[in-house]
Amino acid sequence: MNDSHSTPPPIPANPPSGAPALPLGSNPDEAVPIPNFVGAIEAILRQPRRVMFQLRQPGSGRLIAAMLTVSVVCSLIYGVIAGTFSGGTQLWAAPVKSTCGLLISALICLPSLYIFSCLSGSSARLGEVFGLVAGLLLLMTILLIGFAPVAWVFSQSTESVAAMGALHLAFWLIATCFGLRFLSAAFAHYSHSGDGLKVWIAIFLLVMLQMTAALRPILGTADTFLPKEKQFFISHWMKSLKAGK
Amino acid sequence: MSRARAFARDAIGSRDLIHMSAATANFQVRQLSVLLGGNPAALKDWAASWEKGRVLGYVAVICTGAGLYGAAMGYWRSPVQAGYNLVKFPLVILATTMGNALLNGMLAPLLGLDLRFRQSLMLVLMSFTIVAAVLGSFAPIVFFIVWNTPSLAGQQEVSWAAYNFVQLTQVVLITFAGVAANLRLFRLLHSLSGSGSVARKILFAWLAGNLFLGSQLCWILRPFIGSPVLPVEFFRPNAFQGNFYETVFRAIGHLFS
Repeated sequence: MNDSHSTPPPIPANPPSGAPALPLGSNPDEAVPIPNFVGAIEAILRQPRRVMFQLRQPGSGRLIAAMLTVSVVCSLIYGVIAGTFSGGTQLWAAPVKSTCGLLISALICLPSLYIFSCLSGSSARLGEVFGLVAGLLLLMTILLIGFAPVAWVFSQSTESVAAMGALHLAFWLIATCFGLRFLSAAFAHYSHSGDGLKVWIAIFLLVMLQMTAALRPILGTADTFLPKEKQFFISHWMKSLKAGK
Repeated sequence: MSRARAFARDAIGSRDLIHMSAATANFQVRQLSVLLGGNPAALKDWAASWEKGRVLGYVAVICTGAGLYGAAMGYWRSPVQAGYNLVKFPLVILATTMGNALLNGMLAPLLGLDLRFRQSLMLVLMSFTIVAAVLGSFAPIVFFIVWNTPSLAGQQEVSWAAYNFVQLTQVVLITFAGVAANLRLFRLLHSLSGSGSVARKILFAWLAGNLFLGSQLCWILRPFIGSPVLPVEFFRPNAFQGNFYETVFRAIGHLFS
Protein backbone atom coordinates (compact mmCIF):
# COMPACT_ATOMS: atom_id res chain seq x y z
CA MET A 1 0.00 0.00 0.00
CA ASN A 2 1.09 3.51 -0.66
CA ASP A 3 1.98 5.52 2.38
CA SER A 4 -0.37 8.19 1.20
CA HIS A 5 -3.17 5.67 1.43
CA SER A 6 -2.31 4.24 4.83
CA THR A 7 -4.76 6.51 6.64
CA PRO A 8 -7.92 6.56 4.58
CA PRO A 9 -10.43 9.33 5.17
CA PRO A 10 -12.97 8.44 7.84
CA ILE A 11 -16.58 7.89 6.89
CA PRO A 12 -18.57 10.44 8.85
CA ALA A 13 -21.95 9.40 10.20
CA ASN A 14 -24.83 11.83 10.47
CA PRO A 15 -26.13 12.45 13.99
CA PRO A 16 -28.96 10.15 15.08
CA SER A 17 -32.30 11.27 13.75
CA GLY A 18 -33.80 11.29 17.25
CA ALA A 19 -31.45 14.04 18.42
CA PRO A 20 -33.08 17.45 19.00
CA ALA A 21 -32.66 19.85 16.05
CA LEU A 22 -30.04 22.51 16.75
CA PRO A 23 -30.61 26.05 15.53
CA LEU A 24 -29.32 26.65 12.01
CA GLY A 25 -25.75 27.96 11.97
CA SER A 26 -24.79 26.31 15.27
CA ASN A 27 -22.33 24.15 13.33
CA PRO A 28 -19.48 26.23 11.84
CA ASP A 29 -19.61 24.12 8.64
CA GLU A 30 -23.05 25.50 7.91
CA ALA A 31 -21.69 29.02 7.76
CA VAL A 32 -19.34 28.14 4.87
CA PRO A 33 -20.79 29.70 1.69
CA ILE A 34 -21.80 27.40 -1.15
CA PRO A 35 -19.58 28.53 -4.04
CA ASN A 36 -20.94 26.86 -7.18
CA PHE A 37 -23.26 24.33 -8.82
CA VAL A 38 -21.30 21.30 -7.63
CA GLY A 39 -21.22 22.75 -4.13
CA ALA A 40 -25.00 23.13 -4.21
CA ILE A 41 -25.47 19.47 -5.24
CA GLU A 42 -23.04 18.27 -2.58
CA ALA A 43 -24.65 20.42 0.09
CA ILE A 44 -28.25 19.42 -0.64
CA LEU A 45 -27.29 15.74 -0.41
CA ARG A 46 -24.88 15.81 2.51
CA GLN A 47 -25.45 19.05 4.42
CA PRO A 48 -29.05 20.13 3.88
CA ARG A 49 -28.82 22.34 6.99
CA ARG A 50 -26.03 24.27 5.28
CA VAL A 51 -28.38 25.03 2.38
CA MET A 52 -31.13 26.09 4.81
CA PHE A 53 -28.73 28.38 6.66
CA GLN A 54 -27.25 29.89 3.50
CA LEU A 55 -30.73 30.68 2.19
CA ARG A 56 -31.23 32.91 5.22
CA GLN A 57 -28.07 34.90 4.53
CA PRO A 58 -27.92 38.10 2.46
CA GLY A 59 -26.97 37.40 -1.15
CA SER A 60 -28.66 34.02 -1.24
CA GLY A 61 -29.87 34.84 -4.76
CA ARG A 62 -26.76 33.27 -6.30
CA LEU A 63 -27.38 30.03 -4.48
CA ILE A 64 -31.01 30.01 -5.54
CA ALA A 65 -29.97 30.68 -9.15
CA ALA A 66 -27.42 27.85 -8.98
CA MET A 67 -30.00 25.44 -7.56
CA LEU A 68 -32.56 26.36 -10.21
CA THR A 69 -30.01 26.04 -13.02
CA VAL A 70 -28.96 22.57 -11.88
CA SER A 71 -32.63 21.59 -11.51
CA VAL A 72 -33.37 22.68 -15.07
CA VAL A 73 -30.33 20.84 -16.47
CA CYS A 74 -31.10 17.65 -14.53
CA SER A 75 -34.76 17.81 -15.52
CA LEU A 76 -33.80 18.22 -19.18
CA ILE A 77 -31.47 15.22 -18.99
CA TYR A 78 -34.12 13.06 -17.35
CA GLY A 79 -36.62 14.29 -19.94
CA VAL A 80 -34.33 13.14 -22.76
CA ILE A 81 -34.15 9.70 -21.11
CA ALA A 82 -37.96 9.65 -20.94
CA GLY A 83 -38.08 10.78 -24.58
CA THR A 84 -35.92 7.84 -25.75
CA PHE A 85 -38.95 5.62 -25.15
CA SER A 86 -40.71 7.03 -28.23
CA GLY A 87 -37.80 8.77 -29.96
CA GLY A 88 -38.40 11.28 -32.77
CA THR A 89 -39.90 14.57 -31.67
CA GLN A 90 -40.25 13.28 -28.12
CA LEU A 91 -36.48 13.51 -27.74
CA TRP A 92 -36.87 17.29 -27.45
CA ALA A 93 -40.56 17.53 -26.51
CA ALA A 94 -40.33 15.31 -23.40
CA PRO A 95 -37.45 17.26 -21.79
CA VAL A 96 -39.12 20.58 -22.56
CA LYS A 97 -42.44 19.41 -21.13
CA SER A 98 -41.00 17.77 -18.01
CA THR A 99 -38.88 20.84 -17.22
CA CYS A 100 -41.70 23.30 -17.89
CA GLY A 101 -44.10 21.13 -15.88
CA LEU A 102 -41.77 21.12 -12.92
CA LEU A 103 -41.10 24.86 -12.98
CA ILE A 104 -44.74 25.83 -13.62
CA SER A 105 -45.91 23.55 -10.77
CA ALA A 106 -43.42 25.20 -8.43
CA LEU A 107 -44.41 28.70 -9.54
CA ILE A 108 -48.13 27.97 -9.25
CA CYS A 109 -47.70 26.61 -5.74
CA LEU A 110 -45.15 29.14 -4.46
CA PRO A 111 -47.64 31.84 -3.36
CA SER A 112 -49.76 29.32 -1.45
CA LEU A 113 -46.67 27.95 0.30
CA TYR A 114 -45.75 31.45 1.43
CA ILE A 115 -49.29 32.09 2.69
CA PHE A 116 -49.48 28.75 4.47
CA SER A 117 -46.11 29.38 6.12
CA CYS A 118 -47.31 32.79 7.32
CA LEU A 119 -50.54 31.23 8.62
CA SER A 120 -48.44 28.72 10.58
CA GLY A 121 -46.67 31.60 12.30
CA SER A 122 -43.48 31.31 10.29
CA SER A 123 -41.13 34.26 9.91
CA ALA A 124 -39.78 33.11 6.52
CA ARG A 125 -39.46 35.79 3.84
CA LEU A 126 -40.75 35.15 0.32
CA GLY A 127 -37.16 34.92 -0.94
CA GLU A 128 -36.36 32.24 1.60
CA VAL A 129 -39.49 30.28 0.70
CA PHE A 130 -38.53 30.59 -2.97
CA GLY A 131 -35.05 29.28 -2.10
CA LEU A 132 -36.49 26.31 -0.23
CA VAL A 133 -38.68 25.44 -3.22
CA ALA A 134 -35.54 25.67 -5.40
CA GLY A 135 -33.89 23.23 -2.95
CA LEU A 136 -36.89 20.92 -3.25
CA LEU A 137 -36.60 20.97 -7.06
CA LEU A 138 -32.84 20.44 -6.92
CA LEU A 139 -33.09 17.38 -4.68
CA MET A 140 -35.92 15.94 -6.75
CA THR A 141 -34.15 16.34 -10.07
CA ILE A 142 -30.73 15.07 -9.00
CA LEU A 143 -32.42 11.99 -7.58
CA LEU A 144 -34.19 11.56 -10.91
CA ILE A 145 -30.76 11.62 -12.55
CA GLY A 146 -29.82 8.77 -10.22
CA PHE A 147 -32.81 6.84 -11.52
CA ALA A 148 -32.05 7.73 -15.15
CA PRO A 149 -29.90 4.66 -16.02
CA VAL A 150 -32.64 2.35 -14.70
CA ALA A 151 -35.32 4.28 -16.58
CA TRP A 152 -33.26 4.08 -19.77
CA VAL A 153 -32.83 0.29 -19.50
CA PHE A 154 -36.59 -0.15 -19.13
CA SER A 155 -37.50 2.36 -21.84
CA GLN A 156 -35.38 0.35 -24.30
CA SER A 157 -37.02 -2.93 -23.42
CA THR A 158 -40.73 -2.26 -23.26
CA GLU A 159 -43.38 -0.90 -25.61
CA SER A 160 -46.02 -0.40 -22.96
CA VAL A 161 -46.77 3.28 -22.28
CA ALA A 162 -48.68 2.27 -19.15
CA ALA A 163 -45.73 0.31 -17.73
CA MET A 164 -43.25 3.10 -18.47
CA GLY A 165 -45.67 5.69 -17.11
CA ALA A 166 -45.99 3.73 -13.87
CA LEU A 167 -42.22 3.41 -13.61
CA HIS A 168 -41.60 7.14 -14.16
CA LEU A 169 -44.33 7.96 -11.66
CA ALA A 170 -42.73 5.68 -9.07
CA PHE A 171 -39.33 7.34 -9.58
CA TRP A 172 -40.90 10.78 -9.47
CA LEU A 173 -42.76 9.89 -6.26
CA ILE A 174 -39.61 8.65 -4.51
CA ALA A 175 -37.67 11.75 -5.59
CA THR A 176 -40.52 14.02 -4.48
CA CYS A 177 -40.68 12.33 -1.06
CA PHE A 178 -37.01 13.14 -0.46
CA GLY A 179 -37.51 16.70 -1.72
CA LEU A 180 -40.50 17.25 0.52
CA ARG A 181 -38.59 15.83 3.47
CA PHE A 182 -36.00 18.57 2.91
CA LEU A 183 -38.73 21.19 2.72
CA SER A 184 -40.41 19.94 5.91
CA ALA A 185 -37.08 19.88 7.77
CA ALA A 186 -36.41 23.46 6.66
CA PHE A 187 -39.85 24.70 7.68
CA ALA A 188 -39.43 23.12 11.11
CA HIS A 189 -36.88 25.89 11.75
CA TYR A 190 -39.43 28.58 10.92
CA SER A 191 -42.57 27.28 12.53
CA HIS A 192 -43.56 24.55 15.01
CA SER A 193 -46.90 23.87 13.37
CA GLY A 194 -46.59 21.75 10.25
CA ASP A 195 -50.32 21.49 9.44
CA GLY A 196 -50.25 24.20 6.78
CA LEU A 197 -47.28 22.57 5.11
CA LYS A 198 -49.07 19.20 4.99
CA VAL A 199 -51.99 20.80 3.16
CA TRP A 200 -49.59 22.51 0.77
CA ILE A 201 -47.78 19.22 0.07
CA ALA A 202 -51.10 17.63 -0.93
CA ILE A 203 -51.83 20.56 -3.27
CA PHE A 204 -48.33 20.47 -4.77
CA LEU A 205 -48.58 16.72 -5.46
CA LEU A 206 -51.97 17.16 -7.13
CA VAL A 207 -50.69 20.00 -9.31
CA MET A 208 -47.69 17.98 -10.43
CA LEU A 209 -49.84 14.93 -11.16
CA GLN A 210 -52.22 17.07 -13.20
CA MET A 211 -49.20 18.28 -15.22
CA THR A 212 -48.85 14.71 -16.55
CA ALA A 213 -52.27 15.15 -18.17
CA ALA A 214 -52.01 18.84 -19.06
CA LEU A 215 -48.72 18.38 -20.93
CA ARG A 216 -49.47 14.95 -22.39
CA PRO A 217 -47.99 13.11 -24.09
CA ILE A 218 -44.68 13.12 -22.18
CA LEU A 219 -44.41 9.42 -23.10
CA GLY A 220 -45.85 8.05 -26.32
CA THR A 221 -46.71 10.09 -29.41
CA ALA A 222 -49.43 12.52 -30.53
CA ASP A 223 -50.25 14.70 -33.52
CA THR A 224 -49.98 17.91 -31.55
CA PHE A 225 -47.41 19.21 -29.07
CA LEU A 226 -50.09 19.85 -26.43
CA PRO A 227 -53.44 18.03 -26.00
CA LYS A 228 -56.58 19.38 -27.66
CA GLU A 229 -58.90 17.85 -25.09
CA LYS A 230 -58.86 18.75 -21.38
CA GLN A 231 -58.69 15.86 -18.97
CA PHE A 232 -58.24 15.17 -15.28
CA PHE A 233 -55.09 13.13 -14.64
CA ILE A 234 -56.96 10.12 -13.25
CA SER A 235 -59.16 9.81 -16.34
CA HIS A 236 -56.05 10.23 -18.54
CA TRP A 237 -54.32 7.38 -16.71
CA MET A 238 -57.42 5.20 -16.89
CA LYS A 239 -57.66 5.77 -20.64
CA SER A 240 -53.98 4.89 -21.05
CA LEU A 241 -54.47 1.71 -19.02
CA LYS A 242 -57.58 0.73 -20.99
CA ALA A 243 -55.76 1.36 -24.26
CA GLY A 244 -53.46 -1.39 -23.02
CA LYS A 245 -50.41 0.16 -24.63
CA MET B 1 -4.27 -20.62 30.58
CA SER B 2 -7.14 -20.67 28.13
CA ARG B 3 -7.72 -16.95 28.73
CA ALA B 4 -4.07 -16.28 27.91
CA ARG B 5 -4.43 -18.33 24.72
CA ALA B 6 -7.53 -16.41 23.78
CA PHE B 7 -5.71 -13.15 24.41
CA ALA B 8 -2.78 -14.31 22.27
CA ARG B 9 -5.17 -15.38 19.52
CA ASP B 10 -6.92 -12.00 19.70
CA ALA B 11 -3.60 -10.21 19.55
CA ILE B 12 -2.57 -12.17 16.46
CA GLY B 13 -5.96 -11.59 14.93
CA SER B 14 -5.83 -7.83 15.41
CA ARG B 15 -2.25 -7.71 14.10
CA ASP B 16 -3.44 -9.57 11.01
CA LEU B 17 -6.24 -7.09 10.57
CA ILE B 18 -3.87 -4.14 10.76
CA HIS B 19 -1.60 -5.91 8.30
CA MET B 20 -4.50 -6.60 5.98
CA SER B 21 -5.93 -3.13 6.10
CA ALA B 22 -2.71 -1.24 5.71
CA ALA B 23 -0.33 -3.61 3.98
CA THR B 24 -1.35 -3.27 0.37
CA ALA B 25 -3.64 -1.28 -1.82
CA ASN B 26 -3.82 -4.21 -4.21
CA PHE B 27 -6.43 -6.79 -3.50
CA GLN B 28 -4.73 -10.12 -2.93
CA VAL B 29 -6.37 -13.52 -2.80
CA ARG B 30 -5.44 -13.93 0.86
CA GLN B 31 -7.42 -10.79 1.67
CA LEU B 32 -10.56 -12.56 0.46
CA SER B 33 -10.86 -14.28 3.83
CA VAL B 34 -10.94 -10.88 5.56
CA LEU B 35 -13.67 -9.72 3.18
CA LEU B 36 -15.67 -12.92 3.69
CA GLY B 37 -15.15 -12.68 7.45
CA GLY B 38 -16.93 -9.37 7.30
CA ASN B 39 -15.13 -7.88 10.30
CA PRO B 40 -16.24 -4.22 10.23
CA ALA B 41 -13.00 -3.07 11.89
CA ALA B 42 -10.96 -4.22 8.89
CA LEU B 43 -13.47 -3.51 6.17
CA LYS B 44 -14.13 0.07 7.33
CA ASP B 45 -10.70 1.10 6.09
CA TRP B 46 -11.18 -0.68 2.79
CA ALA B 47 -14.51 1.02 2.26
CA ALA B 48 -13.19 4.44 3.17
CA SER B 49 -10.47 4.59 0.56
CA TRP B 50 -10.68 4.20 -3.20
CA GLU B 51 -7.68 2.24 -4.37
CA LYS B 52 -7.48 1.22 -7.98
CA GLY B 53 -5.66 -2.04 -7.27
CA ARG B 54 -8.25 -3.14 -4.79
CA VAL B 55 -11.15 -2.21 -7.05
CA LEU B 56 -9.58 -4.18 -9.90
CA GLY B 57 -9.18 -7.07 -7.46
CA TYR B 58 -12.88 -6.97 -6.64
CA VAL B 59 -13.77 -6.87 -10.33
CA ALA B 60 -11.44 -9.83 -10.93
CA VAL B 61 -13.12 -11.84 -8.16
CA ILE B 62 -16.57 -10.97 -9.55
CA CYS B 63 -15.54 -11.97 -13.08
CA THR B 64 -13.98 -15.22 -11.91
CA GLY B 65 -16.47 -16.29 -9.25
CA ALA B 66 -19.70 -15.29 -10.98
CA GLY B 67 -18.31 -16.36 -14.36
CA LEU B 68 -17.43 -19.85 -13.16
CA TYR B 69 -20.77 -20.28 -11.44
CA GLY B 70 -22.60 -19.12 -14.56
CA ALA B 71 -20.54 -21.46 -16.72
CA ALA B 72 -21.34 -24.41 -14.47
CA MET B 73 -25.02 -23.53 -14.68
CA GLY B 74 -24.98 -23.08 -18.45
CA TYR B 75 -23.09 -26.33 -19.02
CA TRP B 76 -26.34 -28.16 -18.35
CA ARG B 77 -27.65 -26.79 -21.63
CA SER B 78 -24.43 -26.92 -23.67
CA PRO B 79 -20.71 -26.04 -23.48
CA VAL B 80 -21.39 -23.00 -25.70
CA GLN B 81 -23.99 -21.74 -23.23
CA ALA B 82 -21.40 -22.25 -20.49
CA GLY B 83 -19.02 -20.01 -22.43
CA TYR B 84 -21.70 -17.34 -22.84
CA ASN B 85 -22.54 -17.46 -19.14
CA LEU B 86 -18.89 -16.98 -18.29
CA VAL B 87 -19.33 -13.46 -19.67
CA LYS B 88 -23.00 -12.81 -18.93
CA PHE B 89 -23.05 -13.52 -15.19
CA PRO B 90 -20.28 -11.03 -14.29
CA LEU B 91 -21.81 -8.59 -16.78
CA VAL B 92 -25.13 -8.59 -14.89
CA ILE B 93 -23.38 -7.90 -11.59
CA LEU B 94 -21.09 -5.17 -12.91
CA ALA B 95 -23.85 -3.49 -14.95
CA THR B 96 -26.15 -3.49 -11.92
CA THR B 97 -23.40 -2.00 -9.76
CA MET B 98 -22.62 0.74 -12.26
CA GLY B 99 -26.23 1.39 -13.28
CA ASN B 100 -27.27 2.06 -9.70
CA ALA B 101 -24.01 3.64 -8.54
CA LEU B 102 -25.27 7.20 -8.79
CA LEU B 103 -28.58 6.42 -7.11
CA ASN B 104 -26.96 4.40 -4.32
CA GLY B 105 -24.45 7.20 -3.77
CA MET B 106 -27.28 9.72 -3.35
CA LEU B 107 -29.47 7.52 -1.15
CA ALA B 108 -26.80 6.86 1.50
CA PRO B 109 -26.41 10.49 2.66
CA LEU B 110 -30.14 11.12 2.30
CA LEU B 111 -30.87 8.17 4.57
CA GLY B 112 -28.41 9.24 7.24
CA LEU B 113 -24.89 8.03 6.39
CA ASP B 114 -22.63 10.61 4.79
CA LEU B 115 -20.78 8.35 2.36
CA ARG B 116 -18.95 9.75 -0.64
CA PHE B 117 -19.98 8.45 -4.05
CA ARG B 118 -16.91 6.25 -4.33
CA GLN B 119 -17.35 4.90 -0.81
CA SER B 120 -20.90 3.73 -1.50
CA LEU B 121 -19.76 2.24 -4.81
CA MET B 122 -16.95 0.48 -2.93
CA LEU B 123 -19.38 -0.96 -0.36
CA VAL B 124 -21.73 -2.30 -3.05
CA LEU B 125 -18.76 -3.69 -4.96
CA MET B 126 -17.45 -5.39 -1.81
CA SER B 127 -20.86 -6.92 -1.21
CA PHE B 128 -21.05 -8.26 -4.78
CA THR B 129 -17.49 -9.54 -4.43
CA ILE B 130 -18.62 -11.64 -1.47
CA VAL B 131 -21.57 -12.95 -3.52
CA ALA B 132 -19.24 -13.83 -6.41
CA ALA B 133 -16.69 -15.49 -4.15
CA VAL B 134 -19.37 -17.64 -2.51
CA LEU B 135 -20.93 -18.51 -5.88
CA GLY B 136 -17.49 -19.27 -7.34
CA SER B 137 -16.81 -21.66 -4.49
CA PHE B 138 -20.07 -23.45 -5.32
CA ALA B 139 -19.24 -23.68 -9.03
CA PRO B 140 -17.57 -27.13 -8.77
CA ILE B 141 -20.57 -28.45 -6.83
CA VAL B 142 -23.00 -27.08 -9.39
CA PHE B 143 -20.86 -28.53 -12.17
CA PHE B 144 -20.91 -31.88 -10.41
CA ILE B 145 -24.71 -31.76 -10.03
CA VAL B 146 -25.14 -30.77 -13.66
CA TRP B 147 -22.72 -33.49 -14.76
CA ASN B 148 -24.84 -36.06 -12.94
CA THR B 149 -28.12 -34.73 -14.34
CA PRO B 150 -29.38 -35.83 -17.78
CA SER B 151 -28.27 -33.11 -20.20
CA LEU B 152 -30.79 -30.69 -21.64
CA ALA B 153 -28.98 -30.61 -24.97
CA GLY B 154 -31.01 -32.20 -27.74
CA GLN B 155 -33.78 -33.38 -25.41
CA GLN B 156 -37.32 -32.66 -26.47
CA GLU B 157 -38.84 -33.95 -23.22
CA VAL B 158 -37.36 -32.52 -20.05
CA SER B 159 -37.45 -34.58 -16.90
CA TRP B 160 -39.30 -32.28 -14.52
CA ALA B 161 -37.76 -33.91 -11.46
CA ALA B 162 -34.27 -33.18 -12.80
CA TYR B 163 -35.26 -29.69 -13.94
CA ASN B 164 -36.81 -28.82 -10.58
CA PHE B 165 -33.85 -30.22 -8.68
CA VAL B 166 -31.33 -28.11 -10.60
CA GLN B 167 -33.58 -25.05 -10.36
CA LEU B 168 -34.01 -25.50 -6.60
CA THR B 169 -30.28 -25.95 -6.13
CA GLN B 170 -29.61 -22.68 -7.96
CA VAL B 171 -32.19 -20.85 -5.84
CA VAL B 172 -30.74 -22.20 -2.59
CA LEU B 173 -27.13 -21.40 -3.53
CA ILE B 174 -27.83 -17.91 -4.87
CA THR B 175 -30.01 -17.12 -1.85
CA PHE B 176 -27.26 -18.29 0.49
CA ALA B 177 -24.66 -16.13 -1.28
CA GLY B 178 -27.00 -13.12 -1.24
CA VAL B 179 -27.87 -13.49 2.44
CA ALA B 180 -24.22 -13.96 3.43
CA ALA B 181 -23.14 -10.84 1.52
CA ASN B 182 -25.99 -8.68 2.77
CA LEU B 183 -25.47 -9.68 6.40
CA ARG B 184 -21.86 -8.53 6.09
CA LEU B 185 -22.89 -5.35 4.32
CA PHE B 186 -25.42 -4.65 7.07
CA ARG B 187 -22.81 -5.15 9.78
CA LEU B 188 -20.48 -2.78 7.97
CA LEU B 189 -23.18 -0.15 7.43
CA HIS B 190 -24.18 -0.49 11.09
CA SER B 191 -20.61 0.01 12.18
CA LEU B 192 -20.16 3.04 9.89
CA SER B 193 -23.41 4.76 10.83
CA GLY B 194 -23.59 3.70 14.47
CA SER B 195 -27.31 3.13 13.99
CA GLY B 196 -29.15 -0.07 13.16
CA SER B 197 -32.11 1.85 11.79
CA VAL B 198 -29.97 3.88 9.35
CA ALA B 199 -28.11 0.72 8.26
CA ARG B 200 -31.40 -1.11 7.67
CA LYS B 201 -32.83 1.78 5.63
CA ILE B 202 -29.76 2.05 3.41
CA LEU B 203 -29.47 -1.70 2.94
CA PHE B 204 -33.15 -1.93 2.03
CA ALA B 205 -32.92 0.98 -0.43
CA TRP B 206 -29.79 -0.43 -2.10
CA LEU B 207 -31.25 -3.92 -2.23
CA ALA B 208 -34.51 -2.70 -3.74
CA GLY B 209 -32.70 -0.71 -6.43
CA ASN B 210 -30.25 -3.50 -7.26
CA LEU B 211 -32.97 -6.16 -7.39
CA PHE B 212 -35.13 -3.96 -9.59
CA LEU B 213 -32.41 -3.23 -12.15
CA GLY B 214 -30.69 -6.61 -11.79
CA SER B 215 -33.89 -8.52 -12.61
CA GLN B 216 -34.37 -6.53 -15.79
CA LEU B 217 -30.73 -6.97 -16.84
CA CYS B 218 -31.09 -10.72 -16.31
CA TRP B 219 -34.19 -10.58 -18.47
CA ILE B 220 -32.35 -8.75 -21.25
CA LEU B 221 -29.35 -11.08 -21.09
CA ARG B 222 -31.44 -14.26 -21.07
CA PRO B 223 -31.00 -17.22 -21.58
CA PHE B 224 -28.72 -18.45 -18.83
CA ILE B 225 -29.80 -22.05 -19.28
CA GLY B 226 -32.40 -21.87 -22.00
CA SER B 227 -35.12 -24.10 -23.27
CA PRO B 228 -33.89 -27.28 -24.99
CA VAL B 229 -36.18 -26.57 -27.94
CA LEU B 230 -34.63 -23.14 -28.58
CA PRO B 231 -31.17 -22.52 -30.01
CA VAL B 232 -28.21 -21.61 -27.81
CA GLU B 233 -27.69 -17.85 -28.15
CA PHE B 234 -25.90 -15.04 -26.37
CA PHE B 235 -29.01 -12.81 -26.69
CA ARG B 236 -32.49 -13.84 -27.70
CA PRO B 237 -33.62 -11.94 -30.83
CA ASN B 238 -36.37 -10.37 -28.70
CA ALA B 239 -34.03 -9.45 -25.83
CA PHE B 240 -35.26 -5.87 -25.72
CA GLN B 241 -38.95 -6.69 -26.17
CA GLY B 242 -41.02 -6.64 -23.00
CA ASN B 243 -39.64 -6.55 -19.52
CA PHE B 244 -39.35 -8.86 -16.56
CA TYR B 245 -42.16 -7.26 -14.55
CA GLU B 246 -44.66 -7.18 -17.42
CA THR B 247 -44.04 -10.89 -17.91
CA VAL B 248 -44.59 -11.59 -14.22
CA PHE B 249 -47.82 -9.54 -14.19
CA ARG B 250 -49.02 -11.28 -17.34
CA ALA B 251 -48.25 -14.68 -15.81
CA ILE B 252 -50.21 -13.75 -12.67
CA GLY B 253 -53.05 -12.51 -14.89
CA HIS B 254 -53.13 -15.83 -16.79
CA LEU B 255 -53.19 -17.67 -13.46
CA PHE B 256 -56.36 -15.92 -12.35
CA SER B 257 -58.12 -15.71 -15.74
